[in-house]
Amino acid sequence: MYPSVIEEYLRPGSVSEALAAIARYDEGEAMFLAGGQSAMQAMKSRMLRPQCVVDLQDVAELRGIARDDGALRIGAMTRYVDIASETTLDGAFGALRDAAAHVGDRQVRNRGTIGGSVCWNYVASCMPAVVLGLGGTLELAAADGSTRRLEADDFFLGPLETARREDEILLAVSWPAPAARSGSAYKKWGLVRDALPVVGVCVTVTLGSDGNCTQARVALSGLAGGCQRAPAGEDLLRGCNGDADAIERAMAAIADSVETHSDMSADADYRRQLIRSIGGEVAATAFARARGG
Amino acid sequence: MSAVENSADWLGARLARKEDLRLVTGQGRYLADIVLPGMLHAVFVRSEYAHARITGIDTSEAAAMPGVVAIFTGADFKDTVKPMPQPVVKPNLPARYPTFWPLAIEKVKFHGEPLAVVIARDKYVAEDAAECVYVDYEELPVVRDPEQALTADSPLVHEEDGSNEIFAMTLTGGETPEEQAANAAAVEEIFQRADVVVAERFRCHRTGITPMEPRGVLCDWNDSDGLTAWITTQRPHIDRLALSDLLEIPAEQVRVVAPRDQGGGFGVKAPFYRENLAIAYAARALRRPVRWVESRYESLMNVGQERDQINDLEIAASKDGKLLAVRNRGVADNGVGTIGVYWGFVMPFLGAVELPNAYTWERGDVSLRCATTNKAALTPSRAFGHFPTRFALERAIDMVAHKLDMEPAELRRRNLVPSLPYTSVTGEYYDSGDFVKVWDNLMAQVDLPAFRAEQARAREEGRYLGIGFACGVELSGVASELLVPMENQPGYGAATVRLDPRGKVYVFGGDAPGGQGHETTTAQVVAALFGIRPSDVVVTTGDTGTTPFGSGSIGARAGSYFVSAVAKACAELKDKITRILAHDLQIEASVQHFEFTNGEIVYLGDAAKRKPFTEVVERIIMFPINLPEDEVGGLEHTAFFEAAKPMICFNADCCIVEVDVESGNFSIKRWVTSEDVGTVINPNIVDGQMHGAIVQGLSNAMFEEFVYDEQGQQMSADFEHYKLATAADVPDIEITYAPTPCPHTPLGTRGIGEGRPSSVPGALSNAVCDALRPGSVWQKIREARG
Amino acid sequence: MKTITVTVNGTSYEESVPERMLLVDFLRDRLALTGTHVGCTYEGVCGACTVHLDGEAVKSCMMLAVQADGHAVTTVEGLAGADGPGPLQRAFSNSHGLQCGFCTPGILMNMSDFLARHPDPSDEEIRSGLVGNLCRCTGYVHIVRAVREAAREMREGASGVQA
Repeated sequence: MYPSVIEEYLRPGSVSEALAAIARYDEGEAMFLAGGQSAMQAMKSRMLRPQCVVDLQDVAELRGIARDDGALRIGAMTRYVDIASETTLDGAFGALRDAAAHVGDRQVRNRGTIGGSVCWNYVASCMPAVVLGLGGTLELAAADGSTRRLEADDFFLGPLETARREDEILLAVSWPAPAARSGSAYKKWGLVRDALPVVGVCVTVTLGSDGNCTQARVALSGLAGGCQRAPAGEDLLRGCNGDADAIERAMAAIADSVETHSDMSADADYRRQLIRSIGGEVAATAFARARGG
Repeated sequence: MSAVENSADWLGARLARKEDLRLVTGQGRYLADIVLPGMLHAVFVRSEYAHARITGIDTSEAAAMPGVVAIFTGADFKDTVKPMPQPVVKPNLPARYPTFWPLAIEKVKFHGEPLAVVIARDKYVAEDAAECVYVDYEELPVVRDPEQALTADSPLVHEEDGSNEIFAMTLTGGETPEEQAANAAAVEEIFQRADVVVAERFRCHRTGITPMEPRGVLCDWNDSDGLTAWITTQRPHIDRLALSDLLEIPAEQVRVVAPRDQGGGFGVKAPFYRENLAIAYAARALRRPVRWVESRYESLMNVGQERDQINDLEIAASKDGKLLAVRNRGVADNGVGTIGVYWGFVMPFLGAVELPNAYTWERGDVSLRCATTNKAALTPSRAFGHFPTRFALERAIDMVAHKLDMEPAELRRRNLVPSLPYTSVTGEYYDSGDFVKVWDNLMAQVDLPAFRAEQARAREEGRYLGIGFACGVELSGVASELLVPMENQPGYGAATVRLDPRGKVYVFGGDAPGGQGHETTTAQVVAALFGIRPSDVVVTTGDTGTTPFGSGSIGARAGSYFVSAVAKACAELKDKITRILAHDLQIEASVQHFEFTNGEIVYLGDAAKRKPFTEVVERIIMFPINLPEDEVGGLEHTAFFEAAKPMICFNADCCIVEVDVESGNFSIKRWVTSEDVGTVINPNIVDGQMHGAIVQGLSNAMFEEFVYDEQGQQMSADFEHYKLATAADVPDIEITYAPTPCPHTPLGTRGIGEGRPSSVPGALSNAVCDALRPGSVWQKIREARG
Repeated sequence: MKTITVTVNGTSYEESVPERMLLVDFLRDRLALTGTHVGCTYEGVCGACTVHLDGEAVKSCMMLAVQADGHAVTTVEGLAGADGPGPLQRAFSNSHGLQCGFCTPGILMNMSDFLARHPDPSDEEIRSGLVGNLCRCTGYVHIVRAVREAAREMREGASGVQA
């Protein structure tokens, strides 16, 4: 119920200070604290027992949504509420708002951050699947001043695991300017409104001038294996024009190909059914957004 | 707040509550807000296993931690505390009563059972130390399924009992096995000749009502006064007797105080709990105040778990739509059963009693078996015991209607008990009311033919609408006739009404409410009877040091028993006031010749003869000279109320849903009710009780479940996994009334709210099934998928 | 231990606190502001502990007290104006928007922030806004009514008092 003893609390003002702070501790002893809406659960249940907490709230360079000629860069400390209320995130980036607007509740959205969520990479969370489904790039910085950029496909490794090293900080998630006629959408199903996803589906499509899909990415949340792409469905979406039958075939292929699990929220069969029904709706929305509808 | 022209109209006014100002400004005083100097904090160490022998407990590391004051384990209690059950917390029903102590001693019997308690100066340190209490276990086979538990080769939860069958009863046919067998044969004969028979197994999962404020206790000891215990409780007087008996403290040295503000009870705060005993013991041993505030994790592991029954239900009916006989074989998963007063089986017992509901059956054959398992004990939750049986019956009635090709609403109406009083086939007495009037009022809210037309149109468009009905006879208070056998406690209501020289009125009640608005409704009653204002009335509940004995805020006792006792006490006082006033006015008159209105007492024979209420009261209390012969001064009276027979209230629900056959999700389009709650004291409060009860029923049915895995591990002990309905998950609710004043209470009031969730699962599931007829949800989904 | 400076309900407090102390315990145990309640263990779902951090609704059980260093916190005790309860608080009483009152402070804090951003909400928007606050007594019907009534009164600006 209460966190275990924390010996040091630090609140750096810059990325370099934050990295220097974390470097003073051995692996596993210090942690970054972003919005804390997952980390505090883990600390209060004593699943995490950090000796040192490095609070990133004062690192201004980690916050904010920047648009540059269509490109998008979202600072790691940008909150759900800021993403949900950023009206320019439509069309190709619509999934970001779809997801951010329904994470937890108002209070959670006022604190929780995109960076915290993707670095935690909990199976039943929305942002990892959306970043994966949108093919984002994760910008990481290390204490030695080096930076690296990882594609989402290489960043998310499995439940609660990412390619981020503990001495690295996530700076931002970014995307180049999307191709014309691109659209994305995300939706989840949970037992109660805005609950953690039992299943969530993110679809991104780009259409050619003939209206047929040229690129497609589909990512899923809520599965035991962690957020994951669904190549079987992507293949079927490519080339189709987004008609209901094609979408249904694609989602059925996904439902049949992914490994679903049974737990107290839903059994494996129902998860497959949810992938079909949510996926169909999400894909239709993504196509509509790509068409500019 | 509605203004009232005439003080008599306080009865029935939509008055804003007296409780509200402190609660909306953060000035409420809940248990966790109470702090005493030198207070220590307790954290319980709880079993990690569902069933295991305790082979060792090592407290040395924890005890050495700075700030830790003491650690108690079960061994500390074995020779110093009497084992439970003691009579005050033991039902009068024939059952097995396993012996237990506040903390587990030889073995643990459910995941979460308390094993040790750490007392420290700081709550964070107490949790640190609790982590360092190391328990060695030898795992035992887990008893998980109630039907398997009742087989001869099942492992035993309570080995000394020799069986996991903690309770079994046949509730129909008579007292003797011979009478019961004859009845069963007669019922079988009806089934043989019936035109239509429905037989189905209905399983209701483990769920219950989880108050937003978890449990807690703060105990203080001194050598002259003894023990003062602040407890989150609905029944402080019972807790007081239990603490006295079990700790062998003379009764006059135990005082229990239920905090004035409690964050909901719903039955969960009715039992006498083991933790309370452990904390009282610690406070006495340490001579320091000790407080335990339950975490949500502990709460969901230990309490609020109810329902959990399998009912094999059969109905026989004639082809013209007459319900003939009902037969039910219930099996209840009782859990471990070791909680004071409630051994779990009391709930399914009452559920079986209430099974026949509002319908006329020629005969019934109803029996029940309760199994102990390695799970938390069933603890009371609003709709005590009969949420599962009512779900089963109301769903089965729709199944009968479908077989008869009859509207389920019409089948229900034809079979409602036409006139009261009536005694059900299980022996439950229905005192008064008009079921048909309530039903017809519900149907007046719903244009059923129009709905059927809309449903047919929608179906053509591929949309699935459904309508469902259910009704419920509920107890209005629990009479001694039922409460003595069930809980070894009286049912009567008790209230002390005291007037002061300024004309203010103080009411004292021994029950301890948790949000139902007793301060307001009681003040409205007193204001109406004395012709004063509710703001002139102060209501105190829950302190055993100042209130008359009450069995607790349980079973809808406020509107039935408590306010009736208040009204009786007020009547006695009005009698005395008017005797003295008539004497002063030198008239021959008694209470019926006076009206208490708008702050005055008016002689009806001559309106010029009137006196301010305050002046008369002050005269009787402060200037008791020139009194009538044999009168003395002072104005205070304690009254007790109990009707000759148990009393009921009645309700009916209608639900309209739309089902998405792709996902299986459904949305509730409309929920409308019809209620007989007798005379209404405050419509806001009654509406609120109904809203809350219905949403609890919906949340139980749709979202909540206590889940144990194969090893008996409780998997749902936080709000991420035990899901309560949010505001966005439930509909607006339309409450309508078709009341019949209760002839057995002074004001015509009925106790309401306790049983109210029980008709919800039937109405809801009937609506969903109606939407998908013919066939099940999954059939329909498969069809839709092609 | 770390010394923090937090403005709570307009008053600045300088206190030395353990790094691991939750903000809700700082408010309740250090400042005796017991109107903010605790209804969860670690999960932060019930919303009874909701306060404003720099004017925004947050759950005070999901923050360390040290994280509030340099910030302004408002609790339910700070919600009333100089002339008594504000329109939101009055609406909860008038519409019977509370029963046991345990969840009420958190709901008031969330809804006062919500109404500042959504002055004319639909019932559906109110219900969505309430997702972070569990109530077990009311079935939410009268809560929604209270928020709707408060919104109306605040729009009409009859009192000019903030929620």
